[in-house]
Amino acid sequence: MSLAPELRADDVRPPEEPRARGALLGREEPGMADLPLRLAVAGDAAAGDVTAGDAKTLPAAGRSRRGGRGRAPFWLLAAAAVPVFLVALPILYVLARGWEAGLAAALALLLRPRSAELLANTLALALAVTGLSIVIGTACAFLIERCALAGRGLWRTLVCLPLAVPAFVSSYAWASLGPSFQGLGGAILILTLSHFPLIYLPAAAALRRMDTRLEDAARSLGETAPRALRRVVLPQIRPALAAGGLLVMSHMLAEFGALSLLRVQTFTTAIFQEYELQFNSANAALLSGVLMALCLPVAFGEAWVRRDQRLARADRRSRREPPLLPLGRVQLPAQLGLALLAAAALGVPLGMLGYWLTVGLSAGAGAAGLLRAIAGSLQLSLGGAALTTLLALPLVLLATRFGTRFAPLLERLPYVVHGLPGLVVALALIFGAIRLVPALYQTTALVFVAYAILFLPLAQSALRATAELVPAELEQAARTLGRGPLAAFAAVTLPALAPGLGAGMALIVLELMRELTATLLLAPSGVSTLATEVWSYTNDGSYAAAAPYAALLVLVSGLPVYVFTLRTLKQGRRGA
Amino acid sequence: MYRIDRRSLLRTGLALGAGAALAGGSVRAGRAASADELTLYNGQHRQVTDAVVAAFSKATGIEVLVRNGSSPQIANQLIEEGDLSPADVFYSEGSPPVAALAKRGMLAKLPAETLAQIPATYVATSGEWTGITARARVVAFNRDLVKEEELPASLLGFADARWADKVGYAPASDAFQEQIVALLQMKGRDATLGWLRGMKKVGRVYNNNIGAMQAVERGEIPCALINNYYWFTVAQEVGAAKMRSALHYIRHQDPGALITVSAAAILKSGRNPEAAQRFLAFLVSAEGQKIIADAMAEYPLRPGIASPYALEPFDLLDPPPVTPADLGDAAEAIPLAREAGLA
Repeated sequence: MSLAPELRADDVRPPEEPRARGALLGREEPGMADLPLRLAVAGDAAAGDVTAGDAKTLPAAGRSRRGGRGRAPFWLLAAAAVPVFLVALPILYVLARGWEAGLAAALALLLRPRSAELLANTLALALAVTGLSIVIGTACAFLIERCALAGRGLWRTLVCLPLAVPAFVSSYAWASLGPSFQGLGGAILILTLSHFPLIYLPAAAALRRMDTRLEDAARSLGETAPRALRRVVLPQIRPALAAGGLLVMSHMLAEFGALSLLRVQTFTTAIFQEYELQFNSANAALLSGVLMALCLPVAFGEAWVRRDQRLARADRRSRREPPLLPLGRVQLPAQLGLALLAAAALGVPLGMLGYWLTVGLSAGAGAAGLLRAIAGSLQLSLGGAALTTLLALPLVLLATRFGTRFAPLLERLPYVVHGLPGLVVALALIFGAIRLVPALYQTTALVFVAYAILFLPLAQSALRATAELVPAELEQAARTLGRGPLAAFAAVTLPALAPGLGAGMALIVLELMRELTATLLLAPSGVSTLATEVWSYTNDGSYAAAAPYAALLVLVSGLPVYVFTLRTLKQGRRGA
Repeated sequence: MYRIDRRSLLRTGLALGAGAALAGGSVRAGRAASADELTLYNGQHRQVTDAVVAAFSKATGIEVLVRNGSSPQIANQLIEEGDLSPADVFYSEGSPPVAALAKRGMLAKLPAETLAQIPATYVATSGEWTGITARARVVAFNRDLVKEEELPASLLGFADARWADKVGYAPASDAFQEQIVALLQMKGRDATLGWLRGMKKVGRVYNNNIGAMQAVERGEIPCALINNYYWFTVAQEVGAAKMRSALHYIRHQDPGALITVSAAAILKSGRNPEAAQRFLAFLVSAEGQKIIADAMAEYPLRPGIASPYALEPFDLLDPPPVTPADLGDAAEAIPLAREAGLA
C-alpha cells in the first residue's frame, strides 16, 4: 500500500492492481517485465476508466464499490452467514469428535509410522497428478489452440471428453488390466488421464483470450519464437494453470473410490477405513483434521493465484486470432500422441464398459431401476448445483465488493472443507440435522446442503472470476434510477454474472453426479442415483448389471461437460 | 450456433433448480410413518435383501422402505442418529456392526421364538441379534498359478516369505477383523501380532474381498484370503465352468476355517416394533431362509434348508470353536492391526 498514493494520482485504475502486477512481473522477469505491464495497463485502462476515478473521488462514501471499504448491507451479511454456518458444521464436528480421542490417543495415532506412509502417499499423488496434468493439459492446449494441428475441432472435443468419465469407472477398467496399473504409479497415471482436462480448459481459454500483441512485441525486439513463448506466453497462462492445478490438487486430497480400487492408501482412504473398521469416529476425526490442514495451502494458494489473474486479462478490442504455428515434422508425432492420450483416457474405460456388458451374466439385471436412477441423479445434481451457487453468491459479493476485515478469511473456509471426504460431512449433518431440524432429515433438501458444503468453492471460483469484471457502478447507476439494493442487484449484477454461473454450475453438476458417500448416507430411503447404483452393483460383483448405469453416467455427464467446455472456451474467445 | 441470452439462461437455471428442490420436498411428503411400513437399514448384499423384502411385503402387506449402504457405515450412521433414528431393522452383512449397536444398548431383545429358529451358536448370547446366514473363511486360489497341495495347512502359514506377493487379503473388510479376533482368542496376542506383521510384509492389500477374489480369478495373484461366497459371486458373473480359480478349505479347527454370519436386529428406537418383529421372524422362517439361500451362496442357518449352490457341506467345514458372539464388535482387532501398520 505504501506506493499506492503516487501511482493512483496519475493512473486511472483501482489501487491494488498496478502494485500487484508490477510486483509480480518485477520479481519474475527483470528484463521483459515492463513490456507486458505497460501494454496491459494501457489496455485495461481504456476498458474501465470510470472505476478508478470514482474510487478516488468518493473515498469514504460508504457505498458498495469494487475494492472499496464500504460497509456491507445487513441483508448481505445475513445471507453470507448461512454458508459460513453450514461450512462451520463439519469443522466443529471434526473438532468435537477429535477432542473425544484425548491428546495422548491423538498423538499416538498421528505420530505412528503409518501416518508418515499416508502423508507420503497423499502428497506424492497430489503433486504428481497435478504436475503431470499441467504438463499434458498445457501441451494439449498449445497444440490445439496455437498450432496448425490437423483436425483441431475433433481434438478439442476428444480432449475434453475424459471429464465425463468418473474416475472410479476408469480406475476399475485400468485396475482390471493387471497389477502393473495398480498402486501409486498406476494411480498417478490413471488419475492424470481423468483430470488433465481440468487444466486443458482454463489453459486453452487463457491462450485464446491472450493479447497476441505482447508476443508480437517480444518478437519485434528480437526474441526467437520459443523464447517469446517461454517469456511472454507462459507467464500469461500461468494463473489459469495454477487455478486449474489447485482444483486438481483438491480433488486428489479428497479422492476415494478410484484409489481404493487401485489399492493406494491416503488420508482420505484411511478415514473411510476407520469408519469401516470401527464404531467410534474419534480417530477418523483426527485424520480429517490432518486432511483439512493439508487443504489450507490449497485454499490460500487459490486466493494468491487469483491476485495474479488480472494479468491475463486483455482489452478485447485489440485482439486478433493468433497465427497458427506450423507443425511440420512434428505433425505426425503430435497426432499420434493425442491419439494415444484419447485411447488411454477414453478408449480403455469405454471399452471395458462394453466388455462387461457382453461378457457378464448379470447383464440387464438392474434394468428396471435405470429411469429412477437417472431421475435421482438429475434431481439431486441440479438442485444441489442451484443451492451451491445460491449460497456462494453472498460470499463472493461480500469478498469482491466490500473490504470487511473478516470476509477474506470466512470466504476461504469452504476451500478448507472442500478436501474433506463426503462421509465426514454426511456424518456431521446426520448428527446436526436429526437434533436441530429433524423435519429435514433424510430429505433431498439435506442432500443439497451437504453438496453445497462440499462444493461451494467451485461456485465461488467461477462467480468470483465474473464478479470482478462487473463494475459496481452499474449497480449504483440502477440505484440512482430508483431501484432498491436488492432490485438493483437482481436487475444488473445477477444477469452479468450469468456466464460465470453457467460454467460453474456445469462443473458442479458434473461433480455432484458422481458424488457417492454423502448421497448414500443422506438421501431419502429408496432414492437412488446412477453413481449409487454403480457402487451397489459393482460391490456385489455384478459388473454387467453395473455397466448400463456407468455408461449412462458417462452419457448424462456429457451434457454438463459440453456446457462447461463451451462456456469456458467462449469466455476465452470473448476476452471476458 | 445459437445464442443464449444471459437473463434467460439465469431464469431457466433458477427455475430448474427450484423445480428440483420442490420435487425433493415431495419425496419427503410421501414418507409418512404408518403401521404398515417398516424402515430397513440394509448392509447385506442387495440381491438377498431385495428378494426377501419382496416376499415379506407380499406375505404381510407391510411395505418396507430399504436404505442401502455398507454395514459399518450404517452402524456409524445409526450411532450418530441415536434415539431419533427412523430405522426399525438393521440387516448387516457381518455380525460386528450389530454387536457394536448391542454394546451401546441400542437394540431391542428379540422374541424367544425367533431366536429359537437358529442354532444357539449363531445367536447373540444377550438375545439382541440373530445370525441369518453363515459363510466360511476360505482360501481362493488360481489353479493355473498354484496347486492346492502347495497351500499352507494353517492360516498362520501364509505370513511367510515363501508367499511374498502371492497372497491377497482385505484388511479393511469386516471379515478380516473377525479373523484377527478369532486368531487373538485362539493363539494369543503375540502370535496374532506376528502374523499380522508378516501379512503386512508379504501380502498384497485389496480394498475388499470381491476385489481380491477377482484378482485371483484374473490370475493377478495366486491366492487370497476371502469368504467362500465371493467365489460364487464371481462364478455367477463369468460362468462356473469357465472359472480358473477354486476354493481351498483349511478345516481342522484352524482359525482360517472360521465361520462368520450375516445378522439382523431390531432398533430399540424403532417406531414400528411389531412389524419389525414380523420381519425378523420372516428372515428366520423356512420360507425366508429358502429365499435367502437361493439369492446368495451362503449357508442358511435354519436347520433343514438346502442351498441350491454347490457349497462345501457345512458339516465338513470343521471350524474353530469361536462363535460370532465371541467375536463381538471385533474392536480388539483394531489396536493389533494398528500396531502391525495395517490400519
